Amino acid sequence: MDENHFLKPASTEERRLYYREEWNIEDIPDFIKNSVDKREFGFDHLGRGPNDRYRVFRSLDLLRKFLRYRTPFAAYSSVAFYEKPQRRDGWIKSEVVFDVDAKDIPLRKCNCEGVCDVCLNQAREIVCSLMDILKGDLGLNDIHVIYSGRGYHLRVLDESVMKVNSDVRGQIVKYIIGAEVPQSEYGSDGVTYKLEHFSLPFGYPQVFTERVKYAILHLTESTEMDGVNNKLLKDVIKYREFINNDEWGLFRGKVGPIRYQRLIKSIASLNMGWVDAKVSIDLKRILRLPSSLHSMVSMKCMEVNNLENFDPFQDAVPRFVYERK
Amino acid sequence: MVSVAFINPLSDEGRQIVREMGNLDLFREDNAKLIDLVIHTRLQDISEEFIPHNYVDLAVKRLEWYIRKKNDPNFNYNKYSFLFNYDITRFDVISFYLLCQAVGVKFGPNSRESRAMVESQGKLMQSRLSEFSRIDREDLIKKILDSLLSDEKVKWTFFEDILSSRKLKLEDLVMDHGDIILNREDFIESFSSKIEHRDPDKIYNMMIGDKVKELIMNRMIMQKTEDYIYKVQQKSKREIEPNPLLLELAEKVSTVLSESFPSYGHKVGGNGEIKAAPLNPNAFPPCVKLVLEGMKSGGRNDAIILFFTPFVSYARLYPDIFRKNVTVKVSDVDPNLSVVQNEILPLIYGAAEQCTPPLFDDQPQEKININAKLGFGMHAVVELKHEGESIWYTPMSCEKVKLHLPSLCKPDKTCKRIGNPLSYYIRKLWESDETNGNPEGNED
Repeated sequence: MDENHFLKPASTEERRLYYREEWNIEDIPDFIKNSVDKREFGFDHLGRGPNDRYRVFRSLDLLRKFLRYRTPFAAYSSVAFYEKPQRRDGWIKSEVVFDVDAKDIPLRKCNCEGVCDVCLNQAREIVCSLMDILKGDLGLNDIHVIYSGRGYHLRVLDESVMKVNSDVRGQIVKYIIGAEVPQSEYGSDGVTYKLEHFSLPFGYPQVFTERVKYAILHLTESTEMDGVNNKLLKDVIKYREFINNDEWGLFRGKVGPIRYQRLIKSIASLNMGWVDAKVSIDLKRILRLPSSLHSMVSMKCMEVNNLENFDPFQDAVPRFVYERK
Repeated sequence: MVSVAFINPLSDEGRQIVREMGNLDLFREDNAKLIDLVIHTRLQDISEEFIPHNYVDLAVKRLEWYIRKKNDPNFNYNKYSFLFNYDITRFDVISFYLLCQAVGVKFGPNSRESRAMVESQGKLMQSRLSEFSRIDREDLIKKILDSLLSDEKVKWTFFEDILSSRKLKLEDLVMDHGDIILNREDFIESFSSKIEHRDPDKIYNMMIGDKVKELIMNRMIMQKTEDYIYKVQQKSKREIEPNPLLLELAEKVSTVLSESFPSYGHKVGGNGEIKAAPLNPNAFPPCVKLVLEGMKSGGRNDAIILFFTPFVSYARLYPDIFRKNVTVKVSDVDPNLSVVQNEILPLIYGAAEQCTPPLFDDQPQEKININAKLGFGMHAVVELKHEGESIWYTPMSCEKVKLHLPSLCKPDKTCKRIGNPLSYYIRKLWESDETNGNPEGNED
């Protein structure tokens, strides 16, 4: 199939085809179907943003009919559960979500304008590593990965975190993306020891080490980073093979300890871009409804059951795209 | 034998001491035993002015120690040696409760007085523990933690409150599948296979050891102190009139805090109040300067509406907002809205115009949003009759800026010492006045 048919906006007729002939209410994941009456729904009918908000559906069948007949440009549901979703009142709890948008991630491997298979794959890699930390460090297990059409949403439904406020959510984001340089001085029995993050293969220092490694291995000569001048950038690229071999001490020695500190401080700041933190700390956010159509790129927003093997260009392309001439 | 109440007044032992005490009015009477204990404390400076004579005096000294230690470069430790004498435990516990109740009744939990009380408790626990031998310290921490943590295995979510108030950072904890690793055995079991070329035992001592346990204990007690102040406030709302002794102590607390407040040059009034004055762009923090240079599409709305509008409006009209901890309206400080119309809105519109593309070119409706963030509801024009339909948004903290608008956060040296862009602005104004030789707080 001609690649030009992919990632183009869907026409009104294509939306109608999708919702009436391909879409099935059963494609909505259970974690939403089971709480449909507690969530706020929002719709974008004209491609100008989700202006039709505060929608509530008392049953799945009513939602099915709405989507079938209104065939919206985009459909959303809240991450929050409410007593009175029609007024966004009586907040009960919210999923903890992480939004990795392929077009916004720092250090993209591609130079595409919007999204392409390269940056979407990079977003997938990032999601995999975030999941490892959510599970391994934070012990969260009820995690759903949604392909949003232009990236991924990680939606956490562990009861232990669904009631936490924005401040705690902010702390989770900062932990999993490595937004702070870890301390390097530790005291024991009145003696202070200096231990760099890469010497500690567990806890937050390890999270940070993984993030720094990823960033360094994806730098290019045209990357712009605060506090990192051209000379430092060139040296980092020159010696990064040491990082690839996990020879951190040698790398730090080649770059120089002061410049190394400057580099990791800059990477910590850059790490804030891996996810859209605004989404994570917003308790009342609406997110694209899994199974709905991302009309801007003609992709299905869908739950991903096997992230390792997921290929959006195989699994998330609606039938009408293949029928385009 | 040291009582855990000396470190944690909210412990069962501490509460028992309070239960055994009589009526509040006795607390302002001179107490010979207290005076004797203080005078006979090792290294204690026994000048009359430093000796607490009763429980109320001791409560004031407790807070004064923290404030002076923090702000006075010539701080004399020997004036407060009695605070580290564990023989005063019974008196100390009572003075702790008196302070919490005074602060709770008069100021509530979201006040600078409450913050100072909670922080002082944290620092006092830390300093007291450092005076003990390692064995005693370990023993005390273990006893206190055992009573605070009900299970052997503790999930990080147990610390939701102290994480939320940022008394503790998630990065401070070592976790394995959600469990916080505190014990040596758990650490070895979880991580020893990953540690190469180093002794896992030593790594445990360095990274966790007593340090993390003490940190958790300290932050939990600080949080419980804050919670107690909140409970006192809630209870006091149901009472007709608070005890005069608590109000008297609250006044003294306020005086201790006011004395410590630094002078901010010509914008500072007699009581430390920071007065409104025309904006000085040279004192703006780096994030505000970046907004003035122009934002790119993507972060424009949040930068202008949620970040810049509250910052410039408070910096110009009510820079003292965080110290005062009150809810104000724009018209309280700009009665005919002339400053809003002639200075603040033009500055916000100018910053919006600098965006790429200019914010109002494609989103003219955002002017209404700006009015809403100033407290004038969703209306096209700022008018007094609409004031109060929305709230006047206070400036975002640095923490929020990092999360909402990470591209704006390019900290300089001053940023390290502050937690809000508005505090940066005030500090810079003060520094510039100091440099210009007007340190006395005189009016121009």
